[in-house]
Amino acid sequence: MEADNGIEVEGLVREYRKGPRAVDGIDLTVAPGEIYGFLGPNGAGKSTTVHVLTTLLPPTAGTARVGGFDVVKEGPKVRTLIGVALQEAALDPLLTGRDHLRLQATLQNVPKSKRAGRAEELLHRVGLADAADRKVAGYSGGMKRRLDLALALVHSPKILFLDEPTTGLDPQSRSALWEEVSLLRREAGVTVFLTTQYLEEADVLADRVGIIDQGKIVAEGTPAALKAEIGRPSLHAIPRRDADRPEIEGFLARFGEPLESSRDVAIRLRDGLGLTDIVRAVDADGVDIADLELRAPTLDDVFLAKTGRTLEGATEEAAVEHGAGG
Amino acid sequence: MKLWPVVSGVARRTLKNALTNPQIVLPTMLFPLFFFTAFAGGLSQLRHVPGFDFPPGYTAFQFVFVLLQSAAFSGVFTGFGVARDFENGFAKRLLLAAPRRVGIVLGYALAALLRWAVVATVLTIVAFAVGMRIGGGPVDLVGLYVLAMLVNFCGFFWAGGMAMRFRTIQAAPLMQMPVFLVLFFAPVYVPLSLLQGWIEGVATVNPLTYVLETGRGFIAGNPPHVLAAFALAIGMGVAFWWWAFLGLRKAEAAGG
Repeated sequence: MEADNGIEVEGLVREYRKGPRAVDGIDLTVAPGEIYGFLGPNGAGKSTTVHVLTTLLPPTAGTARVGGFDVVKEGPKVRTLIGVALQEAALDPLLTGRDHLRLQATLQNVPKSKRAGRAEELLHRVGLADAADRKVAGYSGGMKRRLDLALALVHSPKILFLDEPTTGLDPQSRSALWEEVSLLRREAGVTVFLTTQYLEEADVLADRVGIIDQGKIVAEGTPAALKAEIGRPSLHAIPRRDADRPEIEGFLARFGEPLESSRDVAIRLRDGLGLTDIVRAVDADGVDIADLELRAPTLDDVFLAKTGRTLEGATEEAAVEHGAGG
Repeated sequence: MKLWPVVSGVARRTLKNALTNPQIVLPTMLFPLFFFTAFAGGLSQLRHVPGFDFPPGYTAFQFVFVLLQSAAFSGVFTGFGVARDFENGFAKRLLLAAPRRVGIVLGYALAALLRWAVVATVLTIVAFAVGMRIGGGPVDLVGLYVLAMLVNFCGFFWAGGMAMRFRTIQAAPLMQMPVFLVLFFAPVYVPLSLLQGWIEGVATVNPLTYVLETGRGFIAGNPPHVLAAFALAIGMGVAFWWWAFLGLRKAEAAGG
């Protein structure tokens, strides 16, 4: 058991009364100071897991310890250790950014003498100093998310939960947030539990990744190890004309097993084959292909290998079945 | 883990919203002033009804009712705020940040009390400005305002309990209507002794009747059944506190 700022989860289940089993017996461990990426499509159970770990929802079964404290029996102690930025920023439209920071600092029992200074520091850090005294109702989505992050950091938490923190952010704000998260871990040793549906985010930020689908963890490890598990690269051919697609599919089937792709014709290359082998065969057979690309395995490939679906496809499916939310 | 930071934080924020936003502050302030003007002014001829005996006058008679009504409604309106906080997701922040969540309920309750204190101050000033006479001394007045405070707690804990169970502002009629009925099934316009028919029966079993009569007695200087009125008000306060506490547990189980 981690006694300081780790996370330990065993057999965690969360059922909704009239809904599906949102979290279906997951086990995971996050080491102190680690950035753990929880990757999965909408509706996979990511946000429900965060809600349970942050004491917002009681689990139906199983145990979870955050910072060494049981989330059910020792909720108040857990809440003093953690900072949380939820998927939908929980803000009061009638308060200003500064009001929010002061309120959060008061709730978290930050010493009175330090509250104003801490608020000012965080407002600058997330680039909201100029908007600090405006009501949140007038903030953009990106500003709300940045304020939410600042609020999560008010009491210098040891463990930070970020639920899809970059959803809806522009690329610049996304990079800034990634930098901030890395800095927190590097300089303050903060443990970060980060949910995301962006492969790149998990790849760039996370020390380890857990891939969740339909409430179950289907793969877990470092991004490099997970991709190495898939091993073989994929080959993507772009037909010059749509009519050529069946011919190219037949041709490429000789070199590996086909992959689902709407945009191009793709295969997982068999062991020992490389791009040059394919190019030679294309020349020899006179196959007309607009472009060929060899791609190293991605976390999406890992997801595909474990679930039989691409992350993007699973997200669309979930959107149709349940609407948004995780 | 201290409770006070949570209580004070929630109270300050709720009070700031309540007093700086016209859409929230105006109904709180205007309702009691409207009722006071309408009842004390428009119905003042009721003092001539045979058997009506209230030496300080009809203005003081109605002042007590409107004071208790404003206390109850300040509590209910604060309950509306709780429902809004759950509906727009802000309550999640409170639930996540507050080590001891019972402090959230107490913070809202403190805000309801302070909100009412502002209304009561304005109402009292207006009442004296229009010539209200009182027969009771300072101790009687303290008794009256303490009774009203207890009514304020009851109003809030009732509405807050509903708000945390339904977690939507659409539950507002469920929060307000019972309080409205209890208030108006008390002897509002004339003393209980002058009521007749079914309303007399209802008023007799309505606990607020005794609180109201004692309150009017305080302002007249001869309060009847003081112990019973305080016992009733405290008893209802404790019962509604428990109701609100269980509401918090429901909200926690639902994840805010």
